[in-house]
Parts: sequence; C-alpha cells; structure tokens
Amino acid sequence: MDPAIVAAAQQGDALALDRLLDELAPYVRRLCARIAPAAADDAAQEALLAIFRGLPSLRAAEAIMTWARSVTIRTAIRLAREHDLEAPADETLTYGYADSPEGLVDIDDALARLPVAQRVVLVLRTREGLSEQEIATALGIPAGTVKSRLHRARAAFREVWES
Amino acid sequence: MTDPIDPIDRLAILAAALPGAAVAQRRIAAPFDAVWRVIADMENATPRYEPGVAEVRVIEQSGEFLRLLVRDTAGREDAMDARLRPGWCLMQSATIVIAFAARGMGDETLLAHLEHRRARPPVPGRSGSDENRAAVAKIDQELRTIERLATHDSH
Repeated sequence: MDPAIVAAAQQGDALALDRLLDELAPYVRRLCARIAPAAADDAAQEALLAIFRGLPSLRAAEAIMTWARSVTIRTAIRLAREHDLEAPADETLTYGYADSPEGLVDIDDALARLPVAQRVVLVLRTREGLSEQEIATALGIPAGTVKSRLHRARAAFREVWES
Repeated sequence: MTDPIDPIDRLAILAAALPGAAVAQRRIAAPFDAVWRVIADMENATPRYEPGVAEVRVIEQSGEFLRLLVRDTAGREDAMDARLRPGWCLMQSATIVIAFAARGMGDETLLAHLEHRRARPPVPGRSGSDENRAAVAKIDQELRTIERLATHDSH
C-alpha cells in the first residue's frame, strides 16, 4: 500500500479514496467471508464504511493495513454474533453442509460451525497467518487469552472435523 | 478489472469519507445501458443536466482515467481528473468532487449521484444542513434530467 495514496485519501482526495478502496476491498471481503460467512456481504460493507469514515483518525498512513484489519475483524465478529442470535439453532449447525459431496466437510465449513470467538482466532492464525500477538492487537485482548482460545478452538475444530 | 464492490455501495463508502457530501439516488425508468450512455457521454450530456456547466472537453484518456477541461457558465475553466467505467464515474477538481453510480434492475436503473465541495469555507448565516438540503435538491433535479435524457431525448 502506497502511503502517499493513503495520505491523499485522508485529505479528502476522492480519486485516492477510490484507489484505496480498490486495494482494501478484496482483503476486507475475504476476512468477512471467513469470520462471518453467513453475513459476509453486510459485514464487508459495514467494515468498509467504518474504515473510510474513520480514515482521518488514522495517525500513521503506514499503519493502514493493521488498522483496517482490526476494524474489519471487529465488525465481522459483531455481525457474525448478530446472525448467530437471529438464526435458528439448526440453521447454524447445518450451515455450509448442503453442497458437500458424500458428506465431506471442507475446512471453511468446519470453521463456520465453531462459536464466533473460537472461529476468529483460528481463522486469523491458520488461514490469515497472523501471529498470536497480531491477533491480540487486532482483537484488543491479551496474548495469553489468544493462546488459550486457540487451544480450545483447535480442540473444537478437531471435534467438528472428525464428527 | 472486476469491481469487487457494487457501484452503489462504492458511492456510499466514498460519501462516508467525504463529510458534508450531498448524495441522492433515483430509480430511473430506463435500462442500465441507456442511463449509462448519458453519464459516459460527458462532453455532450453534462452541460444538459448540470446547470453550471457550459462545456466539457476530454483532453486525455488512458483506460479508465481521463482528464477533462470544464468551462462553467461564467466562462471559468477548471481541469478535472476522472475515472469512468460502466456503473462508476468519479470526477474531481481542486474544488469539487462529483460521482455517479448505477446498478441495473431489470428494465430500471438505480442511479446515485454525489456532489462534494472540497475544503469548503463556511457560508455566513447559512447552516450546513440548509446547504446540504439545497445540494440534495439540485442533485435530485439533475437525476430527473438524466432520466429524461435516457428515456426520451438521448440524441
């Protein structure tokens, strides 16, 4: 990401904002699809709105990806939780199973069946390759909490995977 | 490039980053291609729906990116940089940002329009909400004119 584009976007340069959106949107959409698979489109749009509304508050243009990631993750978690509350229990349990051939479950399907808090840490660690410290920063929780949550998430994932 | 974002959603995100931007949208009773033909025909169509513009000339084009020379009705000329592709048009000068976004809906088209004054000085005796209401009314009028151009009067 070119810091000059970010800085220009922060000053209200609309063409720079447009290019920044091109750069950020695919990443935001991918994160939302993994964290909030049942509400991915809404989560991505809300996250992008929050990122662009909050751009002037970003102090260092170089920190754009870390900050955008954090905003996206928090937005996706909120929408995933809202969806889980709204969805009937059986829909949550069977989400993603319909098209699996011969009853096989792929990794994303298995991740989608975990509770949101566990799914997030596992997605960020294994699918996005973030360190435990980066996850802690993004979620605003201690690194020790990330470690214990990852441990529980791996156990829960194995259970879903082997069931 | 395949746009990962629907143009109407893209315009909402742009508006979120431009405090004070005026935005309005209208369901236009014409298919996407007819509506977009009007927006993309900057040189001929812009002076017909934008009351302050007398002439638009495209002076450079490289793929989606254009440079325009715009003369207003008072005779002042201003250069604008623009990005144009089906469903998305963004134009910017040192003082103004203008955007159009369109989404086809069968025989109709949802067309959204944004206008934003850059680094706008406060107008004495006039509140921001008054200005925004006036700007939205102007945009709404322009959308109606574009609808007329797209449905009856495109030549």
